[in-house]
Amino acid sequence: MAEPVLLAIEHVGKRFPGVQALDDVSLTLRAGEVHGLVGQNGAGKSTLVKCITGVHAPDAGQIVLEGGPITTYMPKHAYDLGIAVVHQRTQLIPWLSVAENVLLGQLPTFHGAVIQRGEANRITRDLLERFRLRLDPETLVHRLAPPERQQVAIARALFRRAKLLILDEPTAALDAERAQHLFELIGDLQAQDVGVLYVSHHLEEVFRLADRITVLRDGKVVATRPVGELDQNEVVTLMAGRRLENGIARAPGEAAAGEPLLVLDGISNAVLHDVRLSVRAGEVVGVTGVIGAGGHDIARTVFGLERLDAGEIRLRGEPYVPRGPRQAIARGLFLVPEDPTRDGLVPVLSVAQNITLVDLPGITRSGVLRLGKEREIAERYVGELSIATSSIDTPVRNLSGGNQQKVLVAKALALGATVLVLEEPTQGVDVHATAEIHRIIRSLAEGGKAVMVISTDIRDLLQFADRVVALRGGRVVADLPAAETDYAHMLDLTVGSLGAVA
Amino acid sequence: MATPTNVPLPARPQKEAPGSIPVRLYGRLRRFVNVDVYAYWPLFVMVIIIAYTSTKSSNYLTVFNFENILSQVAPLGMVTMGQAILLISAGLDLSVGYNIALSSIVTGLLLQDGQPMWLAVGCGIGAATGVGFVNGVLVAQNRAHPFIITLGVSIFLFGLDTQLTGGAPVNDMKGLYTVFGGNLAEGFPFFGLPTVAIPLVIVVAFAYSFLRWSPLGRRAYAIGGNEEAAYLSGIPIKRTKIYLYTLMGAIVGLTGMVLAGQINEASFNLAQNFELESIACAVIGGTALFGGRGGALRSIQGVALWGIVQNAIVFTGLSSNYQEMALGAIIVIAVMVTRPER
Repeated sequence: MAEPVLLAIEHVGKRFPGVQALDDVSLTLRAGEVHGLVGQNGAGKSTLVKCITGVHAPDAGQIVLEGGPITTYMPKHAYDLGIAVVHQRTQLIPWLSVAENVLLGQLPTFHGAVIQRGEANRITRDLLERFRLRLDPETLVHRLAPPERQQVAIARALFRRAKLLILDEPTAALDAERAQHLFELIGDLQAQDVGVLYVSHHLEEVFRLADRITVLRDGKVVATRPVGELDQNEVVTLMAGRRLENGIARAPGEAAAGEPLLVLDGISNAVLHDVRLSVRAGEVVGVTGVIGAGGHDIARTVFGLERLDAGEIRLRGEPYVPRGPRQAIARGLFLVPEDPTRDGLVPVLSVAQNITLVDLPGITRSGVLRLGKEREIAERYVGELSIATSSIDTPVRNLSGGNQQKVLVAKALALGATVLVLEEPTQGVDVHATAEIHRIIRSLAEGGKAVMVISTDIRDLLQFADRVVALRGGRVVADLPAAETDYAHMLDLTVGSLGAVA
Repeated sequence: MATPTNVPLPARPQKEAPGSIPVRLYGRLRRFVNVDVYAYWPLFVMVIIIAYTSTKSSNYLTVFNFENILSQVAPLGMVTMGQAILLISAGLDLSVGYNIALSSIVTGLLLQDGQPMWLAVGCGIGAATGVGFVNGVLVAQNRAHPFIITLGVSIFLFGLDTQLTGGAPVNDMKGLYTVFGGNLAEGFPFFGLPTVAIPLVIVVAFAYSFLRWSPLGRRAYAIGGNEEAAYLSGIPIKRTKIYLYTLMGAIVGLTGMVLAGQINEASFNLAQNFELESIACAVIGGTALFGGRGGALRSIQGVALWGIVQNAIVFTGLSSNYQEMALGAIIVIAVMVTRPER
């Protein structure tokens, strides 16, 4: 390892209101090295990547590329310096060809007027061949599958002579064969002295590819070690830190007394494989797994937004074939979707109008909306859930994320739903609101409702769930009482070696 | 603003409204007056225009002149109500012009043929409502934007209208002219008002009530504000859209009767430009072009401003070419001054 240091991150700190996202982070990456970056959600991985790519400017410390400190934190500047990032969803121009996308901004022209297509295709073909990418330069990008688009993005980075390539969850959309191809490509890049920062939840991959691994936890580097000096279990322990006490006052085992209200009996579709789980009245079941493991798909399938290919669902003891939100709502099932402003709420409508939207017939008499009753309902839930809003007539877009989540919960209550599915209820929500949402979820269950919470945040789930279900690759790998597991164990099930057996 | 427990979020910092002086002054005003004064800016503009024009001509500030304006904008006002409802649901209807014509032609031809009034009017309104229903069904498929769908229907209707009349207008609307051609007779309240004011008032009152008190109106706001959220809240999206476009068809049919009666003619060019003028009026009045926000009263002030500007240009002695220039400028100014928040 005599290679020179390509990238040096020196004591970088980044603070957002209410949270220290990065705290004294240092890391070096040599030319030709693959450096794995791992950590749980919220550990600071994406903030670090954003600092390196110039999206955020660090508050403290500096980032040094090939000996020269970066002074201007601008994405374009970082790109010009040879730092390229390839995300899961890559930005390409769909109606241009592969060659045009790869060479964009530097297309060969006749006197700056007309593009030399032949020349562009030739340059691109050479580049693609050099890295053994099987793509036709003339294909329009919108015709390509996601993995191929990823290759185009990588080719573009290579054409720009990227010295540092950041791959952020690159295999999330890839099947085994494509992933294998990506790994080979990474090998080729190493041979060309490109440094690769490999960010992933999949520890096997990281172990297979990386020369060194850095583990982040709570915005701090907890370890940077060569792969040979670590094993997967150790990494999981490092990611988890000390064993966590389960937070909130809760009587484990005591709850779970009611009837099963939602039963998934071996449901399968494009993502899910034979998923079996049940949620009983008075119980909070947490479902977790990395992004793409199937949590989101369970929610969408149950709500009738995705196809159900096999298996059966029983809702309140009766057979249920999901057909769509209307039917689900009519049967007392409500989904609180992941992104409130995008999917759950009508931002321009008021708090009151959003709450009653799920049950307009409930406030209608002889074809006329009873606005008085609407106010009554809204005021009740605004009080009950202590939604912080200046009035019930305030448009919900003026509310904070946590309060928007509460408005969604209020919708479910106004509907009188007995089975609730919540997706990522505390994502992007501050500490106070998180605690309140936990309390509300518990009280929903105590009120006899069956609650399923789908979250990638294991730590969060363990604070209020009665049972936790671990998913991996669309399969259930564990279904345990929360009292019998802990963060490290669940993490191991979802990303480490424990769950890999299935 | 939020209570103190509402800690600002790291992920999405609260965006302050642009701090220009008028915006800040407005913010201060709102704290004292619990009415969205800003939404009624066209009213203030109208007052200024009226004050100015009245100094230019002694005949301007007369009851007769304002009745004249009312009679001129009434049909446009009716259609604007329907258009506002569609805009709120993030839709729009470009076929209204030739659909108004269709309803008038159907009625006119039946009257010419000696059919009874009830049948002729019923068929005229029915035809327009049918077109609205077709628009709704096509739009509800979500395969293309309503802009292009209703544009296609509009061009189709143009052909149909000219085919039905052979290009020549029907020149006698019989009883409809008697009803809508003049002013209210002595003995009615508001003696002397043009009779077309009555259907206008009815349609405005209907649109206001519809948007405020009917579940369907609320569904329009929800779909226009966030269709995905409306869908996930169990709102029947397709059915709602079909209802809304059909309702627009019915309003269009009624407008066809009023307009044909008013000028005693049914022809394909009876309501030319109504589609774009109605959209312009609704937007000037403060109805969002892309859905979710707006209302009947706001939109009708757009119509009023439209009529008053046209009329004032005449009284200030400018050539009528200035009417178009002024209206065009108003549209642009309106969309620029509409509230900055989205």
